[in-house]
Amino acid sequence: MKRIMIVEDDKTVRDNLCDLLSNNGYEVIVLTTFSNTVEDVLDSKPDLVLLDVNIPGLNGEVVLQNIRKKSNIFVIMVTSRISEVDEVLSMSYGADDYITKPYNPSILLLRISAVLRRGDSSFDLSYKDLDINMQKGIIKRGEKGIVLSKNEMIIFNHLLLNKDKIVTRDELMTDLWDNDEYINDNALTVNISRLRSKMKELGYPDAIETRKGLGYILS
Amino acid sequence: MTFRGFLKDKIFSLVIFFVTSLLAVLLLLAFKARKDLLISLITIYVFSFVGSILLDFFRKRKFYNDLVENIKSLDKAYLVLETLEVPNFYEGRIISQALYDIDKSMSENVNAFSKQLNDFKEYLEMWIHEIKIPITSLLLIAHNNKDKFDNRTMEAIKRIDFYVEQVLYYVRAENAEKDYLIKEVPLNKVISSVALKNKDDILEHGIDLIVENVSLSVKTDAKWLEFILNQIVNNSIKYYKNDGFSYIKIYTMTLDSSVDLLIEDNGIGIEKSDIGRVFDKSFTGKNGREIAKSTGIGLFIVKNLVEKLGHRIKIESEEGKFTRVTISFGKNDFYSVLK
Repeated sequence: MKRIMIVEDDKTVRDNLCDLLSNNGYEVIVLTTFSNTVEDVLDSKPDLVLLDVNIPGLNGEVVLQNIRKKSNIFVIMVTSRISEVDEVLSMSYGADDYITKPYNPSILLLRISAVLRRGDSSFDLSYKDLDINMQKGIIKRGEKGIVLSKNEMIIFNHLLLNKDKIVTRDELMTDLWDNDEYINDNALTVNISRLRSKMKELGYPDAIETRKGLGYILS
Repeated sequence: MTFRGFLKDKIFSLVIFFVTSLLAVLLLLAFKARKDLLISLITIYVFSFVGSILLDFFRKRKFYNDLVENIKSLDKAYLVLETLEVPNFYEGRIISQALYDIDKSMSENVNAFSKQLNDFKEYLEMWIHEIKIPITSLLLIAHNNKDKFDNRTMEAIKRIDFYVEQVLYYVRAENAEKDYLIKEVPLNKVISSVALKNKDDILEHGIDLIVENVSLSVKTDAKWLEFILNQIVNNSIKYYKNDGFSYIKIYTMTLDSSVDLLIEDNGIGIEKSDIGRVFDKSFTGKNGREIAKSTGIGLFIVKNLVEKLGHRIKIESEEGKFTRVTISFGKNDFYSVLK
């Protein structure tokens, strides 16, 4: 389980962010005092820090610079100030991503999972006895290989990352749109049924179940 | 300063001069003065009078002419005093001093207002950053409690954010200060952010979003461009046509002198008589009156921002058929194709 540390001084945001992340399978550490932010972050060794720029004590950008002197942990900067200058600065200080408030929670989750997967070679995905090559978009079972379209791969990948959990159509749609695939509802349905028939060819006809009114689940 | 005008102004001196001359002549005649004495005295008298009038005229002419001319030629007329030499006659010095005092008092007045305005803008920016925190909370709460809050809640919260952002960019567009950063911005990134922001609306209305040929970069401020695009796409959604196939198409065209980003829809379009004024402040037009309430601010801010960034924008439409907005990133706004 990946550990995410929340550095955010607004209690309501912090509590709800904490719920969001734990509902999505992350272990969450929250910081409630900000007198020793840099040390607190380094000591708790999280996999990723959600660092608000506007916190009491040292400003988030300074905290980031100080963290970077000692550690390469993933840091996503969060700010309510919309400014290209601030973003460029934060990225140059070594932030892994930058997100402005108010963020769409689904997109925040996508960004977090994208950053966590970055450079993590042990994060190779597999499903039962299938070999999955994300880059090439090929799923193999033994000698038999099946090519997935980009959309099908995004959907499969999303379901796989959330294995045994219900994934809503909206979450799938957000992931697709986030990858510049601006498809509509019908196309999503078509893509899922195509993905299903490809899974069937590989011998897993019931891998993707539909939960009526809720979404899909890969089990 | 014309001589005629100057003389007209001296009409009383002239009258007094003629009357006194006449009296003097009469007096001299009464005393049976010699004719040559009479002529000499009159000549001296006339010369000294004409001389003093001319001297006066030439001393003043330069100052007043410069004053009038420079006021006309300066684009900031209130700076005229800086362009003038200190006059060497008494009245001129009084006027000069008075102008100086007036300038000073007016500039104090203007400074007070400008400080007030800047304070207000600063407060507004700060307020906008603050309000975004509870909006974030609302989005998180709605997302975490989907059983209690449906999509309409999420939509309402996003609308709040849309309007808050409009205020932010209104302030920024009006501000003389430079708070943008021009760098190479991949268009597909910006389009993707805007698409995600409007995803629910687009899907709900059954609109197809078609994005083509946008893998290139332009020199602009990413955040500003995102706001600009968001306003335009928002209009396309707001004024879509609810019969059959609706689309919003975002694509680029590379021309000799520019890269054009086009946002095209097959919505209700804009009436011919309205199209020239859609960028005007507070202009709402037929669509704004009849279809969906409009503030007439969005496109006004868009135009301002586009001009500040040095791009160009134009809008074409045929009522009932289509609307197409073109943003041109000029030749100077260096662009390149992403690999």
